[in-house]
Amino acid sequence: MLKTTLHIVILESSKIIFEGLYSILYQSDIYCRVYRAENIDELSDILKTEKINIIIANPVHFVNRDKEINKIKKEFPSLSIVGIDFGVMHKAVIETDASFTLYDTPEHILHLISRMDNRNKSISGNSDDSDNLTKRELEVLTCIVNGKLNKEIAEELNISIHTVVRHRKNITTKTGIRSQSGLTIYAISKKIVEIEDIEI
Amino acid sequence: MHHFTATKMSPSMKMADQIDANPRLLLMLQHFNIDFRVSDLTVSQLCKQYEISEALFVDIANLYNGFGAKKNHTYTKKDLLQVIDFLKNSHHYYRSDMYPQINSYIQLLQKNHPEREFKLLNRFFNEYFTEVLEHLDYEDNVAFPYFIKLLKNRSEESVPEQFSSTEYSEHHTDIELKLHDLKNLLLKYVNIEGDLDLRRKLFFALYELEYDLFVHSLIEESILIPSGANIEKKENA
Ligand SMILES: [Fe+2]
Ligand SMILES: [Fe+2]
Repeated sequence: MLKTTLHIVILESSKIIFEGLYSILYQSDIYCRVYRAENIDELSDILKTEKINIIIANPVHFVNRDKEINKIKKEFPSLSIVGIDFGVMHKAVIETDASFTLYDTPEHILHLISRMDNRNKSISGNSDDSDNLTKRELEVLTCIVNGKLNKEIAEELNISIHTVVRHRKNITTKTGIRSQSGLTIYAISKKIVEIEDIEI
Repeated sequence: MHHFTATKMSPSMKMADQIDANPRLLLMLQHFNIDFRVSDLTVSQLCKQYEISEALFVDIANLYNGFGAKKNHTYTKKDLLQVIDFLKNSHHYYRSDMYPQINSYIQLLQKNHPEREFKLLNRFFNEYFTEVLEHLDYEDNVAFPYFIKLLKNRSEESVPEQFSSTEYSEHHTDIELKLHDLKNLLLKYVNIEGDLDLRRKLFFALYELEYDLFVHSLIEESILIPSGANIEKKENA
Protein backbone atom coordinates (compact mmCIF):
# COMPACT_ATOMS: atom_id res chain seq x y z
CA MET A 1 0.00 0.00 0.00
CA LEU A 2 1.15 3.48 -0.74
CA LYS A 3 1.68 5.60 2.31
CA THR A 4 0.98 9.28 1.95
CA THR A 5 3.01 11.89 3.75
CA LEU A 6 1.22 13.61 6.61
CA HIS A 7 1.75 17.33 6.85
CA ILE A 8 1.64 18.35 10.47
CA VAL A 9 1.86 21.79 12.04
CA ILE A 10 2.88 22.05 15.65
CA LEU A 11 1.37 25.23 17.09
CA GLU A 12 3.41 25.73 20.22
CA SER A 13 5.65 28.56 21.32
CA SER A 14 7.83 26.43 23.59
CA LYS A 15 10.84 25.24 21.69
CA ILE A 16 11.34 22.37 24.14
CA ILE A 17 7.87 20.98 23.58
CA PHE A 18 8.15 21.48 19.83
CA GLU A 19 11.49 19.67 19.63
CA GLY A 20 10.18 16.84 21.79
CA LEU A 21 7.13 16.21 19.62
CA TYR A 22 9.20 16.68 16.51
CA SER A 23 11.66 13.96 17.45
CA ILE A 24 8.89 11.57 18.51
CA LEU A 25 7.26 12.03 15.11
CA TYR A 26 10.45 11.67 13.11
CA GLN A 27 11.59 8.57 14.97
CA SER A 28 8.25 6.89 14.34
CA ASP A 29 7.18 5.07 11.20
CA ILE A 30 4.66 7.78 10.35
CA TYR A 31 5.67 9.48 7.13
CA CYS A 32 5.39 13.13 7.89
CA ARG A 33 6.65 16.60 7.37
CA VAL A 34 6.53 18.87 10.39
CA TYR A 35 6.11 22.64 10.39
CA ARG A 36 6.36 24.96 13.33
CA ALA A 37 4.05 27.84 14.11
CA GLU A 38 4.55 30.00 17.17
CA ASN A 39 1.16 31.65 16.92
CA ILE A 40 -2.09 31.72 14.97
CA ASP A 41 -0.76 34.19 12.40
CA GLU A 42 2.17 31.94 11.54
CA LEU A 43 -0.27 29.03 11.37
CA SER A 44 -2.46 30.87 8.87
CA ASP A 45 0.58 31.64 6.74
CA ILE A 46 1.54 27.97 6.61
CA LEU A 47 -2.02 26.93 5.77
CA LYS A 48 -2.00 29.34 2.85
CA THR A 49 0.89 27.61 1.13
CA GLU A 50 0.95 24.01 2.41
CA LYS A 51 -1.64 21.25 2.38
CA ILE A 52 -1.82 20.51 6.07
CA ASN A 53 -3.54 17.41 7.48
CA ILE A 54 -3.10 17.78 11.22
CA ILE A 55 -2.51 20.59 13.68
CA ILE A 56 -1.06 19.73 17.06
CA ALA A 57 -1.82 22.73 19.20
CA ASN A 58 -1.32 24.23 22.57
CA PRO A 59 -4.92 25.41 23.15
CA VAL A 60 -3.70 28.59 24.83
CA HIS A 61 -3.17 29.97 21.32
CA PHE A 62 -6.88 29.65 20.63
CA VAL A 63 -7.94 31.84 23.53
CA ASN A 64 -9.85 34.84 22.17
CA ARG A 65 -9.09 33.86 18.60
CA ASP A 66 -12.39 32.07 17.92
CA LYS A 67 -12.98 34.07 14.78
CA GLU A 68 -9.73 32.99 13.16
CA ILE A 69 -10.13 29.37 14.27
CA ASN A 70 -13.62 29.07 12.90
CA LYS A 71 -12.50 30.57 9.64
CA ILE A 72 -9.69 28.02 9.40
CA LYS A 73 -12.04 25.16 10.26
CA LYS A 74 -14.50 26.27 7.64
CA GLU A 75 -11.87 26.70 4.99
CA PHE A 76 -10.14 23.37 5.65
CA PRO A 77 -12.85 20.96 6.76
CA SER A 78 -10.63 17.88 6.52
CA LEU A 79 -8.08 19.34 8.92
CA SER A 80 -7.75 17.51 12.25
CA ILE A 81 -6.83 19.38 15.41
CA VAL A 82 -5.12 17.57 18.24
CA GLY A 83 -4.85 19.52 21.48
CA ILE A 84 -2.06 19.31 23.99
CA ASP A 85 -3.70 18.96 27.38
CA PHE A 86 -1.74 20.94 29.96
CA GLY A 87 -4.14 20.09 32.74
CA VAL A 88 -5.21 23.73 32.79
CA MET A 89 -8.79 24.20 31.75
CA HIS A 90 -9.26 26.76 29.04
CA LYS A 91 -12.99 26.09 29.28
CA ALA A 92 -12.89 24.10 26.06
CA VAL A 93 -12.00 27.07 23.90
CA ILE A 94 -12.53 25.12 20.74
CA GLU A 95 -13.41 21.59 19.93
CA THR A 96 -10.38 19.44 19.22
CA ASP A 97 -10.53 16.05 17.58
CA ALA A 98 -8.33 14.44 20.21
CA SER A 99 -5.91 15.43 22.91
CA PHE A 100 -2.97 14.10 24.85
CA THR A 101 -0.91 15.23 27.82
CA LEU A 102 2.83 15.78 27.93
CA TYR A 103 3.11 12.76 30.21
CA ASP A 104 1.55 10.34 27.74
CA THR A 105 3.85 7.76 26.18
CA PRO A 106 5.15 8.40 22.65
CA GLU A 107 3.27 5.27 21.56
CA HIS A 108 -0.01 6.70 22.80
CA ILE A 109 0.60 10.03 21.04
CA LEU A 110 1.58 8.34 17.79
CA HIS A 111 -1.47 6.10 17.98
CA LEU A 112 -3.70 9.19 18.29
CA ILE A 113 -2.06 10.82 15.31
CA SER A 114 -2.30 7.80 13.06
CA ARG A 115 -5.99 7.62 13.96
CA MET A 116 -6.36 11.19 12.72
CA ASP A 117 -4.68 10.08 9.53
CA ASN A 118 -7.34 7.43 8.91
CA ARG A 119 -10.06 9.94 9.65
CA ASN A 120 -8.54 12.22 7.04
CA LYS A 121 -8.70 9.51 4.45
CA SER A 122 -12.32 8.68 5.07
CA ILE A 123 -13.28 12.34 4.72
CA SER A 124 -11.38 13.16 1.58
CA GLY A 125 -12.53 9.79 0.22
CA ASN A 126 -11.99 9.57 -3.50
CA SER A 127 -9.62 12.50 -3.83
CA ASP A 128 -6.42 10.50 -3.96
CA ASP A 129 -3.73 12.25 -5.90
CA SER A 130 -3.75 9.86 -8.84
CA ASP A 131 -4.39 11.44 -12.17
CA ASN A 132 -6.97 8.91 -13.31
CA LEU A 133 -9.32 11.14 -15.22
CA THR A 134 -12.92 10.10 -15.79
CA LYS A 135 -14.27 9.75 -19.31
CA ARG A 136 -16.02 13.10 -19.06
CA GLU A 137 -12.89 14.80 -17.77
CA LEU A 138 -10.92 13.35 -20.67
CA GLU A 139 -13.45 14.85 -23.09
CA VAL A 140 -13.21 18.25 -21.40
CA LEU A 141 -9.41 17.99 -21.44
CA THR A 142 -9.40 17.29 -25.17
CA CYS A 143 -11.52 20.39 -25.73
CA ILE A 144 -9.16 22.49 -23.58
CA VAL A 145 -6.19 21.22 -25.57
CA ASN A 146 -7.97 22.27 -28.75
CA GLY A 147 -8.23 25.76 -27.37
CA LYS A 148 -11.98 25.77 -26.79
CA LEU A 149 -13.52 28.19 -24.33
CA ASN A 150 -15.74 27.07 -21.45
CA LYS A 151 -18.86 28.14 -23.32
CA GLU A 152 -17.87 26.17 -26.42
CA ILE A 153 -17.05 23.11 -24.34
CA ALA A 154 -20.43 23.31 -22.61
CA GLU A 155 -22.21 23.44 -25.96
CA GLU A 156 -20.22 20.64 -27.51
CA LEU A 157 -20.67 18.25 -24.58
CA ASN A 158 -24.18 19.45 -23.84
CA ILE A 159 -23.47 20.32 -20.21
CA SER A 160 -23.68 23.56 -18.23
CA ILE A 161 -20.77 25.97 -17.98
CA HIS A 162 -20.86 25.39 -14.26
CA THR A 163 -20.20 21.69 -14.84
CA VAL A 164 -17.36 22.49 -17.24
CA VAL A 165 -15.75 24.62 -14.56
CA ARG A 166 -16.11 21.80 -12.07
CA HIS A 167 -14.48 19.32 -14.46
CA ARG A 168 -11.64 21.74 -15.09
CA LYS A 169 -11.07 22.07 -11.38
CA ASN A 170 -10.94 18.29 -10.99
CA ILE A 171 -8.55 17.96 -13.90
CA THR A 172 -6.21 20.45 -12.26
CA THR A 173 -6.42 18.76 -8.87
CA LYS A 174 -5.72 15.37 -10.37
CA THR A 175 -2.92 16.35 -12.73
CA GLY A 176 -1.35 19.24 -10.83
CA ILE A 177 -1.37 21.23 -14.09
CA ARG A 178 -3.32 24.45 -14.49
CA SER A 179 -2.44 26.30 -17.66
CA GLN A 180 -3.81 25.44 -21.07
CA SER A 181 -0.39 24.93 -22.64
CA GLY A 182 0.68 22.82 -19.68
CA LEU A 183 -2.39 20.61 -20.05
CA THR A 184 -1.62 20.20 -23.74
CA ILE A 185 1.78 18.77 -22.91
CA TYR A 186 0.18 16.56 -20.28
CA ALA A 187 -2.36 15.21 -22.77
CA ILE A 188 0.36 14.40 -25.26
CA SER A 189 2.65 12.74 -22.74
CA LYS A 190 -0.26 10.60 -21.59
CA LYS A 191 -1.20 9.90 -25.21
CA ILE A 192 -4.67 11.29 -24.61
CA VAL A 193 -4.35 13.28 -27.81
CA GLU A 194 -2.08 12.57 -30.76
CA ILE A 195 0.79 14.95 -31.12
CA GLU A 196 0.11 15.21 -34.85
CA ASP A 197 -3.22 16.82 -33.98
CA ILE A 198 -1.47 19.73 -32.37
CA GLU A 199 0.01 22.55 -34.33
CA ILE A 200 3.50 23.42 -33.29
CA MET B 1 12.82 12.63 5.31
CA HIS B 2 12.96 16.35 5.12
CA HIS B 3 14.38 18.02 8.16
CA PHE B 4 12.94 21.45 8.76
CA THR B 5 15.45 23.33 10.84
CA ALA B 6 15.56 26.91 9.66
CA THR B 7 16.24 29.23 12.56
CA LYS B 8 15.17 32.80 12.85
CA MET B 9 18.06 35.17 12.22
CA SER B 10 18.98 37.76 14.80
CA PRO B 11 21.53 40.59 14.44
CA SER B 12 24.06 39.09 16.86
CA MET B 13 24.51 35.88 14.85
CA LYS B 14 27.57 35.29 12.68
CA MET B 15 26.75 35.70 9.01
CA ALA B 16 28.97 32.77 7.97
CA ASP B 17 27.03 30.38 10.24
CA GLN B 18 23.79 31.67 8.80
CA ILE B 19 24.94 30.94 5.25
CA ASP B 20 25.99 27.48 6.34
CA ALA B 21 22.51 26.83 7.67
CA ASN B 22 20.78 28.21 4.59
CA PRO B 23 22.96 28.66 1.48
CA ARG B 24 20.11 30.47 -0.26
CA LEU B 25 21.17 33.49 1.77
CA LEU B 26 24.07 33.84 -0.68
CA LEU B 27 21.55 34.96 -3.28
CA MET B 28 20.20 37.47 -0.84
CA LEU B 29 23.70 38.84 -0.20
CA GLN B 30 24.20 39.20 -3.92
CA HIS B 31 20.94 41.09 -4.31
CA PHE B 32 22.14 43.42 -1.53
CA ASN B 33 25.51 43.85 -3.32
CA ILE B 34 27.34 42.27 -0.39
CA ASP B 35 30.46 40.21 -1.00
CA PHE B 36 30.36 36.52 -0.05
CA ARG B 37 33.55 36.74 2.03
CA VAL B 38 31.78 37.74 5.19
CA SER B 39 34.76 36.92 7.45
CA ASP B 40 33.82 36.60 11.07
CA LEU B 41 31.32 39.42 11.03
CA THR B 42 28.01 39.30 12.82
CA VAL B 43 24.89 40.23 10.90
CA SER B 44 24.85 43.55 12.69
CA GLN B 45 28.48 44.37 11.81
CA LEU B 46 27.95 43.35 8.22
CA CYS B 47 24.95 45.65 7.88
CA LYS B 48 26.93 48.53 9.32
CA GLN B 49 29.80 47.93 6.93
CA TYR B 50 27.49 47.96 3.91
CA GLU B 51 25.21 50.69 5.30
CA ILE B 52 22.10 48.56 5.13
CA SER B 53 19.33 48.80 7.67
CA GLU B 54 19.71 45.94 10.12
CA ALA B 55 15.96 45.50 10.62
CA LEU B 56 15.38 45.32 6.89
CA PHE B 57 18.23 42.86 6.36
CA VAL B 58 17.02 40.55 9.13
CA ASP B 59 13.40 40.68 7.90
CA ILE B 60 14.38 39.74 4.36
CA ALA B 61 16.77 37.04 5.60
CA ASN B 62 13.94 35.53 7.60
CA LEU B 63 11.79 35.41 4.49
CA TYR B 64 14.63 33.44 2.87
CA ASN B 65 14.73 31.27 6.00
CA GLY B 66 11.14 30.29 5.39
CA PHE B 67 9.33 32.46 7.92
CA GLY B 68 6.23 34.39 6.99
CA ALA B 69 6.11 38.10 6.41
CA LYS B 70 5.96 40.38 9.41
CA LYS B 71 2.95 42.56 9.79
CA ASN B 72 2.92 46.23 10.64
CA HIS B 73 6.60 46.79 10.32
CA THR B 74 7.57 50.35 9.60
CA TYR B 75 10.52 51.05 7.37
CA THR B 76 12.18 54.38 6.70
CA LYS B 77 12.17 55.91 3.24
CA LYS B 78 15.86 55.13 2.99
CA ASP B 79 15.14 51.47 3.78
CA LEU B 80 12.53 51.34 1.06
CA LEU B 81 14.89 52.80 -1.51
CA GLN B 82 17.27 49.99 -0.57
CA VAL B 83 14.45 47.51 -1.05
CA ILE B 84 13.96 48.82 -4.57
CA ASP B 85 17.68 48.43 -5.30
CA PHE B 86 17.48 44.90 -3.96
CA LEU B 87 14.51 44.09 -6.20
CA LYS B 88 16.21 45.62 -9.22
CA ASN B 89 19.28 43.48 -8.62
CA SER B 90 17.03 40.43 -8.42
CA HIS B 91 15.49 41.35 -11.75
CA HIS B 92 18.95 41.48 -13.22
CA TYR B 93 19.61 37.99 -11.87
CA TYR B 94 16.41 36.60 -13.44
CA ARG B 95 17.12 38.22 -16.79
CA SER B 96 20.83 37.74 -17.21
CA ASP B 97 21.57 34.67 -15.15
CA MET B 98 18.57 32.39 -14.60
CA TYR B 99 16.88 32.83 -17.93
CA PRO B 100 19.93 32.15 -20.13
CA GLN B 101 20.95 29.27 -17.87
CA ILE B 102 17.58 27.51 -17.94
CA ASN B 103 17.19 28.27 -21.61
CA SER B 104 20.55 26.70 -22.43
CA TYR B 105 19.62 23.48 -20.59
CA ILE B 106 16.36 23.28 -22.46
CA GLN B 107 18.05 23.91 -25.81
CA LEU B 108 20.58 21.15 -25.11
CA LEU B 109 17.86 18.75 -24.05
CA GLN B 110 15.89 19.52 -27.15
CA LYS B 111 18.91 18.77 -29.28
CA ASN B 112 19.28 15.35 -27.65
CA HIS B 113 15.56 14.62 -27.69
CA PRO B 114 14.03 15.86 -30.90
CA GLU B 115 10.54 14.56 -30.02
CA ARG B 116 7.82 17.02 -30.75
CA GLU B 117 6.63 16.76 -27.18
CA PHE B 118 9.79 18.44 -26.09
CA LYS B 119 9.34 21.16 -28.62
CA LEU B 120 6.08 22.00 -26.89
CA LEU B 121 7.79 22.12 -23.55
CA ASN B 122 10.33 24.50 -24.96
CA ARG B 123 7.54 26.70 -26.23
CA PHE B 124 5.84 26.54 -22.85
CA PHE B 125 9.02 27.71 -21.16
CA ASN B 126 9.46 30.56 -23.60
CA GLU B 127 5.89 31.71 -23.15
CA TYR B 128 6.39 31.54 -19.43
CA PHE B 129 9.54 33.57 -19.51
CA THR B 130 8.09 36.16 -21.85
CA GLU B 131 5.43 36.69 -19.22
CA VAL B 132 8.06 37.01 -16.50
CA LEU B 133 10.05 39.52 -18.54
CA GLU B 134 6.94 41.59 -19.22
CA HIS B 135 6.28 41.70 -15.52
CA LEU B 136 9.85 42.74 -14.74
CA ASP B 137 9.65 45.46 -17.37
CA TYR B 138 6.38 46.68 -15.90
CA GLU B 139 7.98 46.96 -12.48
CA ASP B 140 11.17 48.58 -13.73
CA ASN B 141 9.30 51.10 -15.87
CA VAL B 142 6.07 51.76 -13.98
CA ALA B 143 5.97 50.43 -10.44
CA PHE B 144 9.45 51.26 -9.20
CA PRO B 145 9.61 54.79 -10.65
CA TYR B 146 6.25 55.41 -9.01
CA PHE B 147 7.56 54.31 -5.61
CA ILE B 148 10.84 56.18 -6.01
CA LYS B 149 8.97 59.40 -6.73
CA LEU B 150 6.80 58.81 -3.72
CA LEU B 151 9.80 58.15 -1.49
CA LYS B 152 11.75 61.14 -2.71
CA ASN B 153 8.85 63.47 -1.99
CA ARG B 154 8.29 64.36 -5.56
CA SER B 155 4.72 63.18 -5.71
CA GLU B 156 3.64 66.38 -7.40
CA GLU B 157 5.32 65.22 -10.58
CA SER B 158 2.90 63.34 -12.74
CA VAL B 159 3.10 59.57 -12.74
CA PRO B 160 3.27 58.13 -16.25
CA GLU B 161 0.81 55.34 -15.71
CA GLN B 162 -1.41 54.53 -12.77
CA PHE B 163 -0.06 51.71 -10.76
CA SER B 164 -2.43 49.09 -9.39
CA SER B 165 -1.42 46.85 -6.55
CA THR B 166 -4.12 44.21 -7.11
CA GLU B 167 -3.09 43.75 -10.71
CA TYR B 168 0.41 43.49 -9.40
CA SER B 169 -0.17 40.50 -7.13
CA GLU B 170 -2.23 38.75 -9.81
CA HIS B 171 0.86 38.81 -12.03
CA HIS B 172 2.76 37.10 -9.25
CA THR B 173 0.21 34.33 -8.87
CA ASP B 174 0.21 33.69 -12.62
CA ILE B 175 3.97 33.47 -12.72
CA GLU B 176 4.08 31.06 -9.79
CA LEU B 177 1.43 28.78 -11.24
CA LYS B 178 3.14 28.42 -14.61
CA LEU B 179 6.46 27.56 -13.02
CA HIS B 180 4.64 25.01 -10.90
CA ASP B 181 3.16 23.47 -14.07
CA LEU B 182 6.57 23.28 -15.69
CA LYS B 183 8.06 21.43 -12.73
CA ASN B 184 5.12 19.03 -12.53
CA LEU B 185 5.33 18.27 -16.25
CA LEU B 186 9.00 17.39 -15.91
CA LEU B 187 8.56 15.42 -12.70
CA LYS B 188 5.47 13.48 -13.60
CA TYR B 189 4.65 13.37 -17.27
CA VAL B 190 7.06 14.31 -20.03
CA ASN B 191 8.92 11.23 -21.33
CA ILE B 192 12.63 11.85 -21.60
CA GLU B 193 15.10 8.98 -21.38
CA GLY B 194 18.44 9.41 -19.64
CA ASP B 195 20.31 12.71 -19.75
CA LEU B 196 20.16 12.82 -15.98
CA ASP B 197 23.01 15.31 -15.56
CA LEU B 198 21.34 17.85 -17.75
CA ARG B 199 17.90 17.27 -16.31
CA ARG B 200 19.18 17.57 -12.75
CA LYS B 201 20.80 20.88 -13.60
CA LEU B 202 17.53 22.03 -15.11
CA PHE B 203 15.61 21.01 -11.98
CA PHE B 204 18.06 22.72 -9.66
CA ALA B 205 17.87 25.89 -11.70
CA LEU B 206 14.05 25.78 -11.71
CA TYR B 207 13.94 25.26 -7.94
CA GLU B 208 16.45 28.05 -7.39
CA LEU B 209 14.38 30.36 -9.56
CA GLU B 210 11.14 29.32 -7.90
CA TYR B 211 12.45 30.02 -4.42
CA ASP B 212 13.93 33.37 -5.24
CA LEU B 213 10.83 34.48 -7.12
CA PHE B 214 8.68 33.41 -4.20
CA VAL B 215 10.63 35.52 -1.71
CA HIS B 216 10.87 38.33 -4.24
CA SER B 217 7.08 38.55 -4.59
CA LEU B 218 6.72 38.41 -0.81
CA ILE B 219 9.07 41.38 -0.45
CA GLU B 220 7.11 43.32 -3.04
CA GLU B 221 3.73 42.46 -1.57
CA SER B 222 4.51 42.57 2.12
CA ILE B 223 7.16 45.31 2.35
CA LEU B 224 7.11 47.61 -0.66
CA ILE B 225 3.41 47.95 -1.43
CA PRO B 226 2.07 48.38 2.13
CA SER B 227 4.81 50.88 2.99
CA GLY B 228 4.10 52.84 -0.17
CA ALA B 229 0.41 52.90 0.67
CA ASN B 230 1.24 54.22 4.15
CA ILE B 231 3.28 57.07 2.76
CA GLU B 232 0.49 57.94 0.36
CA LYS B 233 -1.98 58.06 3.22
CA LYS B 234 0.25 60.29 5.32
CA GLU B 235 0.87 62.68 2.48
CA ASN B 236 -2.76 62.98 1.58
CA ALA B 237 -3.70 63.59 5.20
FE1 LIG C 1 9.91 42.23 -9.16
FE1 LIG D 1 6.96 41.33 -9.09
